[in-house]
Amino acid sequence: MQALVLALFLYLLVADHAGAGTVLPADLFFHLDPLAGLSSSLASRSFMAPVLLGLLTLALTLALGRAWCSWACPLGTLLDWTSLRRLRHPRGRPSPWRHVKYVTLLAVLVGAVLGTLGLLVLDPITILFRTLGSGVIPGINLAVTRGESWLYRFDALQGFLDGFDRFVRGTLLPGAEPYFVPSLALLLVMAAILAANAIRPRFWCRYLCPLGGLLGLASRVSLLRRSVDQEKCSRCRKCARECPVGAIDSEKEYRSDPGECTLCLRCVEGCPAHAIALRRETRPAAPDLEGLTRRQVLGSFGLMLAGVALLRLPSVLRGSGRRRLRPPGSSEDDIMRRCIRCGICVNICPTRAIHPAGPGPDYDHLWTPALVPRLGYCDYSCRRCGEACPTGAIPALTLAEKQSAVIGTARIDTTRCIPWSQNTNCIVCQEMCPLAEKAIELEDVAVTNGEGLETTVRRPVVLPDRCIGCGLCEHQCPLNGEAAIRVYPEEGQGRRQGR
Amino acid sequence: MDTIDRRRFIEKMLALGGGAAAAAALMSLAGCSGGPSPAPTGENITVAPPSAPPAGAAYLAVARGEHPEALVQRSIAALGGIERFVKPGNDVIIKPNICTSNRAPEYAATTNPEVVAALVTLCLGAGAARVRVMDYPFSGGHEEAYSSSGIAEAVAGAGGRMEVMAGMKFQDTPAPHGLILSSCRVYQEILDADVLIDVPIAKQHGNTVLTLGMKNLLGVVDNPSSYHTAQMSERVVDLNTVVRPHLVVVDAVRILLNNGPTGGSLNDVKRTNTVIASHDIVAADSYGATLFGKTAADLPIVQAGARRGLGTTDLGSLNIEEIPV
Repeated sequence: MQALVLALFLYLLVADHAGAGTVLPADLFFHLDPLAGLSSSLASRSFMAPVLLGLLTLALTLALGRAWCSWACPLGTLLDWTSLRRLRHPRGRPSPWRHVKYVTLLAVLVGAVLGTLGLLVLDPITILFRTLGSGVIPGINLAVTRGESWLYRFDALQGFLDGFDRFVRGTLLPGAEPYFVPSLALLLVMAAILAANAIRPRFWCRYLCPLGGLLGLASRVSLLRRSVDQEKCSRCRKCARECPVGAIDSEKEYRSDPGECTLCLRCVEGCPAHAIALRRETRPAAPDLEGLTRRQVLGSFGLMLAGVALLRLPSVLRGSGRRRLRPPGSSEDDIMRRCIRCGICVNICPTRAIHPAGPGPDYDHLWTPALVPRLGYCDYSCRRCGEACPTGAIPALTLAEKQSAVIGTARIDTTRCIPWSQNTNCIVCQEMCPLAEKAIELEDVAVTNGEGLETTVRRPVVLPDRCIGCGLCEHQCPLNGEAAIRVYPEEGQGRRQGR
Repeated sequence: MDTIDRRRFIEKMLALGGGAAAAAALMSLAGCSGGPSPAPTGENITVAPPSAPPAGAAYLAVARGEHPEALVQRSIAALGGIERFVKPGNDVIIKPNICTSNRAPEYAATTNPEVVAALVTLCLGAGAARVRVMDYPFSGGHEEAYSSSGIAEAVAGAGGRMEVMAGMKFQDTPAPHGLILSSCRVYQEILDADVLIDVPIAKQHGNTVLTLGMKNLLGVVDNPSSYHTAQMSERVVDLNTVVRPHLVVVDAVRILLNNGPTGGSLNDVKRTNTVIASHDIVAADSYGATLFGKTAADLPIVQAGARRGLGTTDLGSLNIEEIPV
């Protein structure tokens, strides 16, 4: 089951990234994720479609307990497969640190109420999707592309490479794609989660995961709970030692905290005395705060609230003006209140214009979608990000709307631009401009060059009222390194931007 | 506490060093492609001029009429028939202009699909083993561009094959006759094919005045924008000394008068119902200029091409067959 769900997750991710299209909606898992639906509804003060399937997950949790975590969650599966068995907890007692994840959950929700979804970067589904889609696949693609190019020099390999390339492109990988270097941070986060997993199996799920917290709360009242037949139980501690989430308390008759138990059934199957079974239970479980003082609980909530407030403060102080190049049609407010940081748009963008933004001056903008035109431009006829966005943070536009949606405005850096700084013709940006009435004009200017010769040079000039900021000019500027024409997220003169 | 003896110390150091060397090798491998070419010598920058056509064949043929397919057939016939260029069993590549996925054929940003299809049919009729059609669009997905240009459908209908150009096949290729460039990153299949047919659509261009056969070849390298800098004409000619099409067919069924190369307004499109064909790329481009009221003297690339031996701009001296269809 776990393997199947993970395979489905990977299929949706990889096929979508390669532009192959998917049989099921590519954002299926974000719909199933109740945390994403709940917090985006809270933040946007509106009903979000993704809530629906998420409610189903929640309903199943109310019936069956936190089974999602050990049967479906793709990150959980990955962590199960990468944990080191021999390091499993010898104490056989749940750790008080498990309560941290409820604080994380509250932080996400409080943030959402305050109008920021910045903490959804902690959602496990987004973590895995973002890391694979932005950090891992582009890296694999880079290696494959470079490797192919190098091996193609050997005549004997060309036939094989031809077949390989034809098979891989458009099915497993898209065409060559750039690597957005800041995405290496995603790999660091994943490495930290995996390293912690080596210390404690499912460290992330036990102590930190906000989705686990949400489902854990729901499973306190679930109908199906683990019970231990005290007459059969031989007190061998096997179940408490091997429980992958450390839910079983060896000093409390091997009972488990229903908020922690993920119904993996390993204890049921592994019990030598056959003493463990799942039974119907209608009474809600009492909160188990053993090992925590009142001061610790209140202190951690206080710290959490202060942290969320600090996280939110910079963007509140700076207002909702544009600071980044956002996907076509989406405003800064859409991104703050609707974007669940899932990375679907990054993954699907066929021209690789969209990348997960670094935090910048507004911490809660971390890993929101931003355009990086030097790496990829926004294709004039493409609307895929808006169609793919599960929460409407990027609106689904008609082609006409998309072709007039202003992403930013191009500006020429005259100190670098070849015709401006070297009096030599170069009109790549003008040539590239996809608008029927080009937003870049060429002006013929008579100049005296360094050799004292009178000559005419054609200098590009941007018409800001026409420019939609697609970035094709910046992408194709022939200079090495930074382009001499760059798109800025500023308003065109006399024109409103976004919606 | 563990102690390490000298032997183990040396072993460890060697292992570390080996690992580092392997990593360095991998990194240099990853970064080895591309990079600016060293300055060429500047000697021997001319190439052998196009040969004279066989007896009875026109040097350059111009067909005018309503039906693109007939224009292609008649102009090629005037050159001595497709058999002059394509032998049975040949591997043929046709290189139209499919620069963008944003424009339907009516906008004259991409080569007329009927012209391309007519050439595919002719080549297959002459016994070509395989006819492939390809370009490297600078905007939009390649498959999307193939399809939005109408060329994919037309080529499939004629029995040819569209090829999406694979990144790995762009390889540094020496340009022994280069003036600026000593090598070009050329799509290797283009060089390996028996016959290369260059099928530009005649368009206005902000720097080179017009895009015709010579500039259309920028679609066989993966770094075309780097050609647009200083001395663009000589750079394009350098590429033309490496990649020399056997036949040039200029599609001037519709021409783009302004806002090239992608246009976008039908007001910029003029229907000229003309196809120009020649084995001489400079002559074909020179004739193409006349459709815009210009001459070869107005086109720096064509001028440079003539200087470097790629062909002749002197239309008056040529055997030109004008065919009303």
